[in-house]
Amino acid sequence: MDFTLSEERKMLQETVGKFFNSNYKNIDKRSENVNLPEGYSKEFWKESSDLGVISALVSPKFGGLGGSGEDISIIFELVGKSLCVEPFLSSAVLSSTVLSSISNPRNDLITDIIEGNLLISFAHCEMNNRYEDHYIETNAHLKNDEWNINGTKSFVMNGDDASKIIVSARINGDVNDRDGIGLFLVDNDQTLKRPYNTIDGYRSTELTFENSKGELLAKNENALKCIIKANSAGALALSAEALGIMQICFDLTLDYLKTRKQFGKSIGAFQSIQHRMVDMMLEIEQVKSAVMLASSTFETDDLTRDKNISAAKNLVGRVGKLIAEETIQLHGGIAMTWEYSAAHYAKRLIMIDHLMGDSDYHRDRFKLLSNF
Amino acid sequence: MVIKMNFEYSEKDENFRKEVKDWLDETLPKSLSEKVKKYQRLTKEDYEIFMNNLTAKGWLAWHWPKEYGGTGWNAIEKHIFEEEIIKASAPRIVPFGVNMLGPVLIEFGTEEQKNYYLPRILSNEDWWAQGYSEPGAGSDLASLKTTAVDKGDHYLVNGQKTWTTLGHHADKIFCLVKTDLNAKPQLGISFLLIDMDTPGVEVKPIITLDGEHEVNEVWFTNVKVPKKNIVGKENEGWTYAKYLLTFERTGIAGVPYSKSALNHLKMISKRSLKNGKPLIEDPIFSSEIAELEIDLLAMEIFNLRTVSAAAEGKAPGMESSLLKIKGTLVRQKTTELLRKALGPQALPYLPEQFDEGWNEMPVGPSYAGPIAKQYFNMRKISIYGGSNEIQKNIVAKASFGL
Repeated sequence: MDFTLSEERKMLQETVGKFFNSNYKNIDKRSENVNLPEGYSKEFWKESSDLGVISALVSPKFGGLGGSGEDISIIFELVGKSLCVEPFLSSAVLSSTVLSSISNPRNDLITDIIEGNLLISFAHCEMNNRYEDHYIETNAHLKNDEWNINGTKSFVMNGDDASKIIVSARINGDVNDRDGIGLFLVDNDQTLKRPYNTIDGYRSTELTFENSKGELLAKNENALKCIIKANSAGALALSAEALGIMQICFDLTLDYLKTRKQFGKSIGAFQSIQHRMVDMMLEIEQVKSAVMLASSTFETDDLTRDKNISAAKNLVGRVGKLIAEETIQLHGGIAMTWEYSAAHYAKRLIMIDHLMGDSDYHRDRFKLLSNF
Repeated sequence: MVIKMNFEYSEKDENFRKEVKDWLDETLPKSLSEKVKKYQRLTKEDYEIFMNNLTAKGWLAWHWPKEYGGTGWNAIEKHIFEEEIIKASAPRIVPFGVNMLGPVLIEFGTEEQKNYYLPRILSNEDWWAQGYSEPGAGSDLASLKTTAVDKGDHYLVNGQKTWTTLGHHADKIFCLVKTDLNAKPQLGISFLLIDMDTPGVEVKPIITLDGEHEVNEVWFTNVKVPKKNIVGKENEGWTYAKYLLTFERTGIAGVPYSKSALNHLKMISKRSLKNGKPLIEDPIFSSEIAELEIDLLAMEIFNLRTVSAAAEGKAPGMESSLLKIKGTLVRQKTTELLRKALGPQALPYLPEQFDEGWNEMPVGPSYAGPIAKQYFNMRKISIYGGSNEIQKNIVAKASFGL
C-alpha cells in the first residue's frame, strides 16, 4: 500500500497552492472577486488555464493532463483552502465530465474549456428535484428535426456567464422515470436568466428555456449514466474542497485558542476546549481518509466509484457541520463577523452540504448501492 | 404535600392569555408582524411603534414592581405574556432600558436617578444600549479595560466596548468601567451611565456573517461623564452587573421561538419534495423532527417548572443556566433542520428581500429566503449572554462540590 502522493502530484499541489494563495491573499480579495459582474475573476480564470489548473482536471484521453480522482482532489482541496469562486466545478468538472462521457466525446469543446476560452454550465437541478439524478420536469421535443427545450433549471452554477449550457431534459416518460432522459447542448443566448449570489458567495442562476434549440448529446441509459457520473465527480470535488476548508478552520481555531486570553490564560489551556479540538482533528482525519478512498476508486467501476463517493460526501456533510459550528463557537463573537475569514469558511462548509447531494441523500445512496 | 401534579394553566391564567392575545390582535399593525415573519430589517421606528403601544397599555415594564409603573405580574403571567408576543410576531421589546437597566436602578439607583431615568424608560424617550463586552473581555468580563478616571466633578472615560446591540439607535449607554486600576479584577469596576451625545463617543458598525448590521463597537476617547451618573457605589459595579445578568429571565429557554420554528419546519417539510414525495414522508427526516419535538416538549415542562417555582418566590438558580444551554441548542437545531429541509433551495441569497416593501418574485418558495441566513445568525445565541461554556462552568462550580 502507498498513501503518498507521486512526485508529479506533489509538484502540482505546490504550484497550484502558491498560485491560488498569490491571488486569494485574504478574505477582502475574495469579496472583490465575488462582487465582480460575473461573480468571479475572469483574469484569474484565464491565468488558471494558462497554468494548467483546468487541464489538470481533465484526462489526457480528452486533451487534458490529469483528470484522475487524485488530481480532482488535489485541486479542489486547494480551491477550498482559498475559497475560490471561479467556475472550476461548473465548467471544468461537471460539464467536461458530461462531454467526455457521452458516446461521441466532444474533445473540441473540452479543449476550449481547458484553454479558458469557453465556459459551459451544467443545468440539471430543478426547484423540485432536490438532489435526484433522474427526477426531471424540463422537457424536450422534436419539431421539424429540431430539439425544443422547455422548462426551468435552478441553481445553475455560473449559468449567467456561460456561453453554452448542457441541460438535462425529459424526452418521454414520467417525471420520475429513469429512462427517457436526454442531455442537450444549448447556446445560452436562448435562455432567460435570473442570476443571484448564494449565501456563501457563489454565482448561481435560474435558467428558463422557452423552445430553446438544443443539440442532442446523449439519451436514455447513456444520458443518465453521464448525469450520475457528473454528479459523482462533482460530489468528489466538493468533498475535497470541504476537506481543504476543514483544515483551514482547524488551523484558524487552534491559532485563536493560543492567542486569545481569558481568565489570565489562553483559552486553549482549558481541557474541555482541548478535547473538542481533538474531536475535530479526529473527524478531519476520517474525512481525509474517505476522500482518499473515493479519489482512488474514481476510475474503477461505477458502483465502487459511487459507493465510495457517497461515503465521502455523507461524512463531509456530517463532519462539515461539526467543524463549521465548532469553529464559530470556539472563536466566539469574532467568528460571527463578516470581516474575519472563519465566518466565510464556515458558511461555505455548511452550504457544500446543499450541493450535489446532502449527507442524507448520500447515506441513502450508500445504502442502496451496498444492497442493505 | 403535593398529591397531584397539575400541568394546566388556571382559568385566571387562561383569561390573562386571552386578554394579551386580544390586545395584540387589536393593536399590533399587520404590516409590522408581516415584517417580523419575513425576517425583514426593522427600523428604529418599528421597534418604537410596538413599545409605545405597550407604554400606552401600561405593559412595557412587565418585569417591574407596580409602584414604579410595572405590571406586578407573577412569573407565570410574565411567561404567558412573552409567549403571546412571540406568537403574534411582534418585534422584540428592546431589553436594555426596560429589562436590564430599569431593575438595576430600582434596586441600586439614587432617588434622583430613579425619578429622572425610570419615567424616560417607561415612555421610550431614551433608547439604552449595554456597554459590557470589550474586545479583550468576553467570557472573562471582569477583565475589562475601559477606564474612568476621577477628575473631581467628572470621570474621564477611555476605552472600547463591543457587540453593542442596536447601539447605533441608542441615546444612552450603561457601561462597566474600571475605576480602580490596582484592585483585583472584580473589585475596581463601576457602573456608569453615559450620554451617547457626549464628545468623544463614537459608534462603529460591525457587519455580521449574514451581512447585517445589528451590533457595533462603541469607542470612548476622553469622554467627560458627570459624577452623578454613577449607579451605586464606586468600585462596586460588579455586584450590580451580576444582579443584571442573573435578573429573572423567564424567557431564557426561548420555548415560544422554538415552537413556532417547529411548526414552520413541519409546514416546509410537507411542501419540500424528496423523490417527488413530501419530505415529511421520509421516515428518517420525520424521525429527526419528532426527536426535536420531544426535546422541546420536555424543555417546555422544565421551563414551566422553573417559572412556577419562581412564581412561588423561589429564585431560579442553576435552572437558568441549564435552560439557556438546552434552549439555545434546541433553537439552533430547528434552524438546522429548516435548512436541511430546503435542500438546494437554501442556497439563493437575495439581501434586498429583507428590505421593507420588497415585492419581487423570490428565487424558489417565498419561505426559503431567510432560512440559511437565520441558521448562521442563530449561531450567536450559544455565544452571547454568557456562552454555553461559561454556563457550564457556572453550573459545575456551584453544584458539584468538586
